[in-house]
Amino acid sequence: MDRAFKARLEGRFGDQLTGPIRQRHDESEMRIAAGDVTQVLAALHDEPAFRFEFLADLAGVDTGEVMQVVYHLWSDSTSDWLRVIADGLSREDPRVPSVTFLWKGAEWMEREAYDMFGITFEGNRDLRRIYMPPDYTSFPLRKDFYLADDAARSPGGGVRPMERTHAPHGAPATANVRRSGG
Amino acid sequence: MTTTTDRSGAGRPSTDDPRVMLDEDLGVFEPIPPYPPRTEREAEFYTLRDGEMLLNMGPQHPSTHGVLRVVLKIDGEKVVDLDPVLGYLHRGVEKLCENADYHQAICYLDPLEYVSSLFCEWPGVMAFEKLLDVQVPRRAEYIRVLSAELNRVASHALFLGWMALDLGGLTPILWSFIERDEIVDMLASLTGQRMLFNYFRIGGVNGDLNHDFMSRLGDWMSHATEQIEAGNTLLNENEIFVRRMRGLGTIDSTTALRMAFSGPNLRATGVPFDVRRAHPYSIYPELDFDIPTRSEGDCFARYLLRMDEIKQSLRIIDQCLHQMPDGPIIAKLPRLLRPRPGRAYAGIEGPRGQYAAYVMSDGTDQPFRMRIHDPSFIHLQAVGLMMPGHLIADTMAVMASLDPIMGGVDK
Repeated sequence: MDRAFKARLEGRFGDQLTGPIRQRHDESEMRIAAGDVTQVLAALHDEPAFRFEFLADLAGVDTGEVMQVVYHLWSDSTSDWLRVIADGLSREDPRVPSVTFLWKGAEWMEREAYDMFGITFEGNRDLRRIYMPPDYTSFPLRKDFYLADDAARSPGGGVRPMERTHAPHGAPATANVRRSGG
Repeated sequence: MTTTTDRSGAGRPSTDDPRVMLDEDLGVFEPIPPYPPRTEREAEFYTLRDGEMLLNMGPQHPSTHGVLRVVLKIDGEKVVDLDPVLGYLHRGVEKLCENADYHQAICYLDPLEYVSSLFCEWPGVMAFEKLLDVQVPRRAEYIRVLSAELNRVASHALFLGWMALDLGGLTPILWSFIERDEIVDMLASLTGQRMLFNYFRIGGVNGDLNHDFMSRLGDWMSHATEQIEAGNTLLNENEIFVRRMRGLGTIDSTTALRMAFSGPNLRATGVPFDVRRAHPYSIYPELDFDIPTRSEGDCFARYLLRMDEIKQSLRIIDQCLHQMPDGPIIAKLPRLLRPRPGRAYAGIEGPRGQYAAYVMSDGTDQPFRMRIHDPSFIHLQAVGLMMPGHLIADTMAVMASLDPIMGGVDK
């Protein structure tokens, strides 16, 4: 845990943070609004005080209520992994600016997040499905996508809403979804 | 006007005539999608200029190391652009993990990269341990590093053979399989499986070192260096191989970082980034080893770098054997794990680059979100940058030098 790094982040991005900076083990976590992604990530990448040149991961997340895009970055200026969460994307039309202008290698990771969650990355030149067939219409990693597999039942839990073989009839798409903890 | 022999007499052309077949629209073999282009890039790629044509390589092409289709845009023998088409091996591992409990999820991680399974298990297990605040016993950490470094040697040995095979050389793969089989048999006596080990557990490992494993390891260590050197001399000084690989598929360090490269492919461009040193985990800070780098960034540099890494792995294995402490091999944990809500990320250095797992817990016994980051996926998208201007036959050489495993690419 790098306490000084937390202070540096708060000093630089204080007004853009939408939640407290959390630190646990070797990770620091900051939350920003989707609209600030371009500005904040460009600052983290370019400014000599941060130098986050290595994009370790880019993931989409569906919490059941909102969509998030999670970036993991590495820099030699801190001993922590930095996790940047672009929070509060709507589930109906999730949109976030692309980071391909910083890391061209994010292109396929964004395509994957689009394929699995339906998140639109504005500015990605090649945003089409990458794993699923081109005529596929669902987004499999969303929490309202049910897995029709009995083998997925956990030994202690019994049948969960997640493991139903079909969505409850007449229920709204987000019903019976486990709430995010993090 | 075609002069088709009408043998059926029904007034329509016979299908026996090959010219009739040619007239039919065979959409199956058409590389151009039957739908309008969905993106800017797709429109650009599928617009052919004079003299250009499209060629499908795969999905059953032997040099694609699995099932990958690459649409090549070629001008004569030169590659102008290419568009990899993925998804033929997609199993939805992330979704499966989200519907299994924490112990069950580990076995879904193995088949991601069937050549280096331990490196797929490790980040997942490490992320779970972070969520649960588990302290892994030191002996378990040593056993993990020992078995993982053995797996790294096996993976790099297979890389050598495969790459030579893609270039048309048959001998090296036979040699590298001698070495790989010795290691894989050794790991089988330790873990019970030859390929999909399922050996790491949350808080430790599944079984302690046994006599069979130790005696096999001792035998192998006594001749490993000479055996590897012998395998290397097949290619290192082979003029055909060296001239083919040198200057091919070059990428510079800035571009490599922008492409989110990691592992040997990044270090071959001169960036000394290795997660074992850059973001230390497990017992690596206590071990003495070097991070080899090269500055050329071409296929030959990537090959040589992996050969250097094998030597460093042997050093690590040797140190692990000498420093191996006594003690428990697994932390005491309940059968049913319910980590408190939170998020955890774990990244490790595998034979291909940074393997990582990002896990979210919501307080139940199943991961709420399980994200798997695989370096093969990242590296494969750079083939499109490296290929323009090279020959079709070099596509295999460049792809082989990046060492992608399709199981990891398609998840």
